[in-house]
Amino acid sequence: MLYELKNLKKTYDQRTVLDLKKLKFEKNKVLGLLGPNGAGKTTLLEIMAFLTKPDAGDLWFEEERVNFTNAKLIDLRRKVVLIQQQPILFTTTVFKNVEYPLKIRKTPISERKKIVKELLELVGMGMFEHASAHKLSGGETHRVAIAQALACLPEVILMDEPTASVDVENQINIERIIKEINLKKNISVIFTTHNMIQASRLADETVFLFEGKVAQSIYENIFSGQIEADSNGYKYCILHSGMKLRVSSQKTGSIRISIDPCMVKLNQKESGHSMYNCFKGTLIQLTDEQSRVRALVDVAGTPLSVLIPKDVFKGLHLDLGEKVWVNCPKESIDIF
Amino acid sequence: MDFLIDSFLSALLLIWSIDPELLVIVQVSLKMSAISTLVAAVVGIPAGFLIAFKPFYGKRLVITVLNTLLAMPTVVIGLFVYAFISRRGIFGAFDLLYTQKAIIIGQVILIIPIITTFTITAINRIDDRYRKTALTLGANLLQTVVVIIREARFGIVASIIVAFGRVIAEVGISMMLGGNAKGFTRTMTTAMALEYDKGEFVLSVALGIVLLMVSFGMNIFFNYFQGKARV
Repeated sequence: MLYELKNLKKTYDQRTVLDLKKLKFEKNKVLGLLGPNGAGKTTLLEIMAFLTKPDAGDLWFEEERVNFTNAKLIDLRRKVVLIQQQPILFTTTVFKNVEYPLKIRKTPISERKKIVKELLELVGMGMFEHASAHKLSGGETHRVAIAQALACLPEVILMDEPTASVDVENQINIERIIKEINLKKNISVIFTTHNMIQASRLADETVFLFEGKVAQSIYENIFSGQIEADSNGYKYCILHSGMKLRVSSQKTGSIRISIDPCMVKLNQKESGHSMYNCFKGTLIQLTDEQSRVRALVDVAGTPLSVLIPKDVFKGLHLDLGEKVWVNCPKESIDIF
Repeated sequence: MDFLIDSFLSALLLIWSIDPELLVIVQVSLKMSAISTLVAAVVGIPAGFLIAFKPFYGKRLVITVLNTLLAMPTVVIGLFVYAFISRRGIFGAFDLLYTQKAIIIGQVILIIPIITTFTITAINRIDDRYRKTALTLGANLLQTVVVIIREARFGIVASIIVAFGRVIAEVGISMMLGGNAKGFTRTMTTAMALEYDKGEFVLSVALGIVLLMVSFGMNIFFNYFQGKARV
């Protein structure tokens, strides 16, 4: 086991940002940490990079309990490297930035040059060797940061939203590099994202975080809304877009609602599944996701994700732009 | 106006002919200012780094006191140091009064707050991501400190320029603690004041020109260094 976490807690200014009962990560895999903003993904990565001390709980790395006050923490840090969401490079050349981890590890100069050149080629930044690091674009900075991380010869690379602030071309490049370093160099990669499609494309396994906790459901289709009751006592959740869902909840007022995309049913005709929570929408996107197909349906301005098993999808003969009916059963709705 | 132009031309001639008296005064000034700045930098830079980096109780008070000390008049420092090193003072036995050491002590006290506060500002402006990056790349504490100081170097160098400018241009401390002894504790500024009193305007102007040239030279040097370092 690569990481094992038990009862891990982290609080900032009396706000609990992380509260994990139990979590395990296996070696040599690409793992995706999914969750909306503020879910605690970055804090978890910083704890796993041994940069932030948790307030409570235990962390095991390679079967050994991590002591955050121990001087040996530096040995652990040399096995794990974190690439921040917006990586920052030192005010010097690209070459010297990538050389830095080798320099502090006292690698001989002749070897350093060879390794730096190889790594810069790997990330497609070979021609920028002598360029000033601060003059690079966001995507280029990210690629140099990956080369810098690889120079550490780590066992684990942690990436905080690796493609959040880069253009499509750089996104493709970074995703290719992530796959390559995992397959060719046997480095475990743990990355955070709030992009479900990217996670399913890259990750062998995914963990969903929500408000600092591991979420049981996928916690996709998260919307803000208002709970109101009608004259018959039935409760409805009205989303900002105007979409009105019948719910059974004790909560009132402003809430957040999640609709599990695996449980939402999609039909070409108005189905008889349920009398309520049936909405007409337009199919706007279809994405292949291993054993399933993700359909994105625009329901009166609300983008609703639906995950359909491939065999079911084949029978539906869906076309983009087609009018479809989505049914959100009671079990698919979670209010928090 | 003619008087000013004549004095200015005579001053330039004095500099050009490398007048021995002028040379000694300039040498004494540069030597003491350099030593004072060096000592203050050795104390002020680490102090500024620690204050900026380490959270501790009373940090804001310390910064406020340092900022107040920036406005300390040189004569106040002169009086303060005088109280300690005069014959009746607790360090009177060391015979420091009217020596170069006395001037250096006073000047160090004058510029330590400058270097410390500038360093605090320079370190505070450094993005915390540098610290995290250095640590995650495997740097130990000292290597991380070096990374942060390297990134803050332009601000720190600026503090040294300002501090040097402050000591080379001050009069109060040099006059009160040095005594303006010819060839020994006579600095450019005390000599200027003396020559002015004597009505010898030419040497005063010459020293003024040298003083400005030194400051100009220092700035050119550091600008060149900063330009090179910014890659």
